[in-house]
Amino acid sequence: MEYLHSDVAVHTQQREKLQHFHVLAVDDSLIERKLLERLLRESSCKVTCVDSGDKALEYLGLLDSQEIDRSTASSSSPQSSTQEGLKAVNLIMTDYSMPGMSGYDLLKRVKGSLWKDIPVVVMSSENVPSRISMCMEEGAEEFLLKPVQLSDLKKQLQPHLLKLPVHPKIDITTSNDNGNDSMIIDITMNNNQNVVVSKRKTMTPEPLERRPQMKGLAVI
Amino acid sequence: MELGQMQGRLAEYTRSLYMEGILDAQFLQLQQLQDESNPDFVVEVVSLFFEDSEKLLNDIARALDQQSVDFKRVDAHVHQLKGSSASVGAQRVKDACVAFRNCCEEQNVEGCLRCLQQVKQEHYLVKNKLETLFRLEQQIVAAGGSVPMAEMTF
Repeated sequence: MEYLHSDVAVHTQQREKLQHFHVLAVDDSLIERKLLERLLRESSCKVTCVDSGDKALEYLGLLDSQEIDRSTASSSSPQSSTQEGLKAVNLIMTDYSMPGMSGYDLLKRVKGSLWKDIPVVVMSSENVPSRISMCMEEGAEEFLLKPVQLSDLKKQLQPHLLKLPVHPKIDITTSNDNGNDSMIIDITMNNNQNVVVSKRKTMTPEPLERRPQMKGLAVI
Repeated sequence: MELGQMQGRLAEYTRSLYMEGILDAQFLQLQQLQDESNPDFVVEVVSLFFEDSEKLLNDIARALDQQSVDFKRVDAHVHQLKGSSASVGAQRVKDACVAFRNCCEEQNVEGCLRCLQQVKQEHYLVKNKLETLFRLEQQIVAAGGSVPMAEMTF
């Protein structure tokens, strides 16, 4: 099995972290789901695949019927933690063009819900700039062009795995202490010579980061 | 034929498929995702593709056969086929689908029928080629050998 450059840099510890990283993959095509599942498992993530936006909402407990049941429950944000018997989800990857609820509709629903802090990546086989900016404006973490490459995924997962609070010394933060999220928009080319637009937050307040931070941390 | 020769033949055959544009880098990606824990990954994905695509081709033919053709519906099927062929690396099928979508836009039944023929041809071709490829692989495995990983630079 050939190894990509980035594999050399992925330490065992990082791989272990990703084992708890749960991705919800949404695509109506069986082939796409199979591919995505394989790519994500290759990246050591846990994967759950569903074949529609509705099933994704159901999984997240966001179907209207489920939301009504929870209207009296606490309104704390689930972020990446479990909420009342619901499964923990760290990332949602959804196809854009699906019958019924599109990936864009799903994105909107998620961003308007208690799961709004969960990053949502939208995928499409079509390179339509207006579609891309529409999704980014709605809060998509990234827009990937299909077929998705393993290298796209590894690049996508890297920042998330740095944020996972497993070992304090590996927590890398910038010296921006005002707690504001600022966005960096990266525009890069993937191996398909396709444009990949992604947004990165330079700082996200997370429970662990309320402890005193040291600047210029060493990475082990 | 001894093992080394079979492996050489397979490598050459695989290379030719890439050179002729029948397969593209995405197929290589599929091969790279096959390992000891996923030993049949390529065959599984490819089988899914052919099941799916045969159904789609039938749906398209039926849709074009209607009194009043619903071009949006035809286009939707072609779009799906384009996506799945791109995902398995069936480059010529994908390209034929791109051309097909243009015909759908023009709402030209004759044009669409010609495009369908073209897609079917490319589909048939890649199916045969891949069946041969898998057969060559099986022969090598049956002879106790392992399948060499195709290495290409693009």
